[in-house]
Amino acid sequence: MAALVKARSEKRAVRRAGDGGRRVEYLAFVLAGETYAVQLAHVAEIRRPPPITEVPRAPATVLGVISVRGRLVTVLDLRRRFSLPEAPIDRKTRVLLADAGGGELIGLLVDEVQQVWRLSAEEIEPSSVLGGEQAAHIAGIGRPAHAQGSILILLDLRPILESP
Amino acid sequence: MVEGGGREGGDKARDEFLSEAQELVDGLGRDLLQLDEGLKRGRVDAELINDVFRAVHTLKGLSGLFGATRMAGLSHELEDVLDDLRLGRVELSPGVLDMLFQAVTLYGRILAVESGEGEEPAPEVEQLLVALGELSQRRAGGGGAGVVAQYELDPGLLGVLTEYEEHRLRANIQQGQSLYRIRVRFSLSTIDSALDDLKAKARPHGEIITYLPTGSGADIDTVELEILMASRAGLELLRSAITGPNIGIEQVRRRSPAAPSFPPPIQTSPPPAVRESLAPASVTSRETSSVRVGRDPAEPKQTPSLVPALPKAPGQAGAGRELSLRSVSQTVRVDIRKLDRLMTVVGELAIVKTAIANLAERARGRVVEARELAVELARLNRTFERHLAQMQSGILEVRMVPLGQAFDKLARVVRQISREHAKEVNLVITGAETEIDKLIVEELSDPLMHMIRNAIDHGIETRDERLRVAKPPVGTIALNAFQKGNHVVIEVEDDGRGMDPEALLAIAVQRGVVTQEEARELGPREVLALVFMPGFTTKEIATDLSGRGVGLDVVKTNISRLGGVVDITSDLGIGTKMTITLPITLAIIHVLLVEIGARLFAIPLANVDEAIALDETQVRTVEGREVLTVRGASLPICRLGRLFGVPAVERERAREFVVIAQVGNRRLGFGVDELVGQQDIVIKPLGKSLAKVRGFAGATELGDQRVALVIDVAALIEEVLAPAETRYLATAVEGGRA
Repeated sequence: MAALVKARSEKRAVRRAGDGGRRVEYLAFVLAGETYAVQLAHVAEIRRPPPITEVPRAPATVLGVISVRGRLVTVLDLRRRFSLPEAPIDRKTRVLLADAGGGELIGLLVDEVQQVWRLSAEEIEPSSVLGGEQAAHIAGIGRPAHAQGSILILLDLRPILESP
Repeated sequence: MVEGGGREGGDKARDEFLSEAQELVDGLGRDLLQLDEGLKRGRVDAELINDVFRAVHTLKGLSGLFGATRMAGLSHELEDVLDDLRLGRVELSPGVLDMLFQAVTLYGRILAVESGEGEEPAPEVEQLLVALGELSQRRAGGGGAGVVAQYELDPGLLGVLTEYEEHRLRANIQQGQSLYRIRVRFSLSTIDSALDDLKAKARPHGEIITYLPTGSGADIDTVELEILMASRAGLELLRSAITGPNIGIEQVRRRSPAAPSFPPPIQTSPPPAVRESLAPASVTSRETSSVRVGRDPAEPKQTPSLVPALPKAPGQAGAGRELSLRSVSQTVRVDIRKLDRLMTVVGELAIVKTAIANLAERARGRVVEARELAVELARLNRTFERHLAQMQSGILEVRMVPLGQAFDKLARVVRQISREHAKEVNLVITGAETEIDKLIVEELSDPLMHMIRNAIDHGIETRDERLRVAKPPVGTIALNAFQKGNHVVIEVEDDGRGMDPEALLAIAVQRGVVTQEEARELGPREVLALVFMPGFTTKEIATDLSGRGVGLDVVKTNISRLGGVVDITSDLGIGTKMTITLPITLAIIHVLLVEIGARLFAIPLANVDEAIALDETQVRTVEGREVLTVRGASLPICRLGRLFGVPAVERERAREFVVIAQVGNRRLGFGVDELVGQQDIVIKPLGKSLAKVRGFAGATELGDQRVALVIDVAALIEEVLAPAETRYLATAVEGGRA
């Protein structure tokens, strides 16, 4: 049964890829009840948060540093970065490891990781639909065609990694 | 996995090209400096010119291969000029050397462009090409053809000399060298090594101009060579120096003025049959000899005179002044990224080691079987530890390079500046063989260059000025490096006019760096330290030498980023000395783990003198700063928990500890809650997003997934002990920039 479902969904994926042109994979995650998504290609790894060492004098958005297989990774709290209320780390909390360039990894703390979406260009609205000036890190709004009602806030990680 | 992502093969080859070209260019610079040194003493080392020629030739080939057309064009023109130099058609002069040095600079800039930095120095290259072209036009004939005829040389031999060999023959005769003819028989099976051996023996005494097979040999398995050599040495000396089986050495005699113009029979000459066979044999030898001299970049160099420049050559340490700038670093080129990855592996091994040790500790003391297991584990751990130590030190060695790599570039800078300006400066380098982590060497070049420019610009007086105060007309800048414990000390010392504290203060007040009142309170040391303040420059008008808006504050920042400190001392009228103290390596350090609140921090033991229990009754507050009396002396202390804003935790023992740290000659006690123990750690830099956070040199993993921050002792001492007013100023300036 499961195999059948998988086969069917793959077929559907192939059909979607056929009509929608090039599709980009987005990883969706939750922050304070809202669903955000970043390009999957920018995420190297998803981890449960290890003990985080706080760094005195660091910018407020920096939670601290962790070690991932011998590499030092700075962890940013996306809630703090987006001025959302703080929440304790629980069993759903995850750290997304993103490539910050120059061989450096940056960890992004999120409430919960959901799923991967494959979005075609038609399923993405520019951030200008929100009207007014938008923060630089908002790349657009994702509306998956086959999941009516789902809204993904698509993030551009570059401004976040450049100025935490 | 992000690491080592999908790099194209072409990229790799290109990286190889860039690093090889860079190495060649660096070598070129060193050779030119040696040529310059020689030229000042009126000598032109032909072998060096050949080396330069070979390097440029290789660069031409490389750049052609990788489509670096500008570089190929430059190399092509240079090659022509160098060929002329080699053949004596153009004379080596300081002006010609200037062009060659200019070429080295341009090569550097082109390489930077190739690796994606900076702008193409197109106009400069064009200018140099024109200048080089003109040089080739002006070339003269070799001259001195007549001198060769004064010697009893076989016309058959003279006829087969290459142009280069002919030039060398003339040049050597003109320099008053004697000519010698060496006849030697080699066995065919060992001729290559035996000939190299002979060349090595001959080289310290003179120059081998050519060698030709005579065509005779005792049997078909031997070859007889005739070697023409020029030397200053006497015949007896040569005979004792160039020894071996079947070697005969004779001096080539000058013809007496009345001698007939045909070659007289020579006593040592071979049988007539040999003589006649010389010409045909020479056809091949002519070709091989030209290949040997000019075209083979891979020809092994065996110049014994270079041996003293090798790092750690025994008995050479004292000969610092004579130390050749040309460091024959016979090291394997290793990509620093590979080393970093290796370091990561070692770091993980260290973590495993700690885990095993913990396991052994836990297993001990339970049932008997477990105890046996623990013994076994502990034994394993000892073995593992030993291997790990070997691996760590091995890798550390790979990372170490002689400081000469940075010094070479400085010598070029000094030469350039002293030629461009009226100031004559002699750079004296000692301790170029001192080894330090590759990363540090790379980061040192710029700060050192700035310090030297500063010394020339602000320190060294003009020739007239120096003569007036009875100093030697040529200024001296000494660049001394030496190891001191776990540190490397680099001194930049000039014998210039020194710094006038009064003048410094006046400028500082005038610029509003300090107020009149503050100025009165500054000690002599603090006054000199003013030059490291952002924007402080003592010249009214910025010169193109050093006063380009950036000052010594940049030097200071760069050095502290490497975990080092800069100190300055100066005597008015006598000179100024700046001292950089640096850790030998950035990689593995021995630390003291301490607890502050509930957190662990690591303090590098290299900076720690001792750790003592804090006796609160001995603490006094002086001018808002806590001072502890230790053995009758005052020690300023700084409680890290307060400085870092770490929340305090309840402890069984209320007693705190003081870790006494020292950098340069400044001491400070760090107040901590608990001493945990010592450990070797692999220090890793904090990421870019934490680059602005001061007070931490990096962080390390402790084995149980926990990360401890490593305290940057030098930065904290600086921060805590800096006079209140300068601290205020520093923040004000930073705030102004933001």
